[in-house]
Amino acid sequence: MNEWILETNGLSKQLGGRAVVNQLNLQVKQGDIYGFLGPNGAGKTTTIRMLLGLAKPSVGSIRIFGKDLRKERLSILRKVGSLVEYPSYYGHLNAIDNLETVRRLLDVPRSRISEVLEIVRLTKDAKRAVKGYSLGMKQRLGIATALLGQPDLLILDEPTNGLDPAGIQEIRELIKSMPREHGVTILISSHLLAEIEQMATRVGIITKGQMIFQDSIEALRRQAKPTIRISVSRPEEAWRMLLAKGLPVDWDQTRLTVGEVSDRTVASIVAALVQQDHDVYRVEEERVSLEDIFLEITGGEGSL
Amino acid sequence: MSLRILSAELLKIRRKFIWFLIFLGPIGVVGLQAVNFGLRYDYLVGKVYRDDLWGGLIENVTILMVPTLFIGLAILASMVAGIEHQTNSWKQTLALPVTRTQVFTGKFLLNLLLLLVSTTLVAAGTIVLGIVLGFGTGIPYGVLLKACYYPFLAIVPFIALQNWLSVTFQNQAFPLTVGIAGMVVSMFSIRFGDWFPWKWPYLINAAKEPLYSVACGLAFGLVVLAAGLAHFVRKDVK
Repeated sequence: MNEWILETNGLSKQLGGRAVVNQLNLQVKQGDIYGFLGPNGAGKTTTIRMLLGLAKPSVGSIRIFGKDLRKERLSILRKVGSLVEYPSYYGHLNAIDNLETVRRLLDVPRSRISEVLEIVRLTKDAKRAVKGYSLGMKQRLGIATALLGQPDLLILDEPTNGLDPAGIQEIRELIKSMPREHGVTILISSHLLAEIEQMATRVGIITKGQMIFQDSIEALRRQAKPTIRISVSRPEEAWRMLLAKGLPVDWDQTRLTVGEVSDRTVASIVAALVQQDHDVYRVEEERVSLEDIFLEITGGEGSL
Repeated sequence: MSLRILSAELLKIRRKFIWFLIFLGPIGVVGLQAVNFGLRYDYLVGKVYRDDLWGGLIENVTILMVPTLFIGLAILASMVAGIEHQTNSWKQTLALPVTRTQVFTGKFLLNLLLLLVSTTLVAAGTIVLGIVLGFGTGIPYGVLLKACYYPFLAIVPFIALQNWLSVTFQNQAFPLTVGIAGMVVSMFSIRFGDWFPWKWPYLINAAKEPLYSVACGLAFGLVVLAAGLAHFVRKDVK
């Protein structure tokens, strides 16, 4: 009846009188890699806990696969794989036994264990106790556990937290390949835009418990308009002169910038400057990075 | 489903010294009685229990077994819950397609099952000890089984309580303190009225009917289990 595989409606959670999550309307489409972004403490993990039924919403509803989470929790969770914050594992058991404890509850064939170990490339270390694993391997085991039940929806909370660049790269490739090879929809949270940017198809940005942006990654990129910066010998004078000529230039006491960047405009600005004997030192394009936009919409307090 | 949960739980406690503990308790109880009877053989066998050697042995075993059960169940509950607390696996377990009720009762049943194994080992150990001590083969099975399994049934409220506490608190110091205090209190429980739950496992009551203690234990055990469940089902998981 609708296209959303996961949808929340006015989802809120009060903790100690404070709204940690406030009126959240999350919408994830089939086949998306949905990047759920926000600075630390914005309410991402709380939201994800509610999506998994680990915490109860104060207000609002959650629908996954078109079913109400409150009423059909078990049948929904059967098709959802999850990894919340740091991985959960039983350190004294090896990877196979770890997966087996979960497999017995999911009731999937035993062969699934070697399949998921293959996917996360842990087959070689499968017989070692997990407490001896590196963080990256534990994280991969966590993903293997999430994949065990052949889920249609994967919910990953900060899966690259605490990993080194190689580990991050590895997890990223793994996640990117998932919708392609296994037909899974993925919701992945992070406080690092740069990381999400490279794999997400859609993003939702949350800060102080509220969703402030939710659209495709392209829509977010479109907000990153480039500007042209010009440095000249006598900027203030140049600014007045250019304005008098009707050219769109801004002067903020330190920099001369042009918002409109068509080649024509830039050309006429430079021509005018040269004609009036200004020394033109530099004409450069400045791109606002997604990070800057992210900082701007999250109010600048976000840690990146 | 409950069976599947139990089998998963049994897998989790591998290589955790839990099975070691399950065997250690009974070996300790029977071993101490072996020392007791060995050192005071002439006095105990020759004089005190001359008319009922098996009865005397069983009585002595039970006196040690109940406090051991009290402390054992607290440590056991703490270790079983600790497996999930250690790496905060609750969030993983509870995000699986199982109900909270199933997970909580799964832990409870695991504790119950392991303690049942211990109790059975005490009974078996008592038989071996009696035979070694030369008490003959006229083993009073009825008396022995009652002496072992009645206390086990009467102690169920405490299994439910420790399971609840250990699951609720991440820091196991609190549940363990409660458990140890409970063991100490139980040893002085004879002085209290029959309403005192710590007295029930000793099967002593005014009516001299052990089954009353057992019935109280089972009934109250269900109440504690239900209370724990009601709390666990509503709790948000960290």
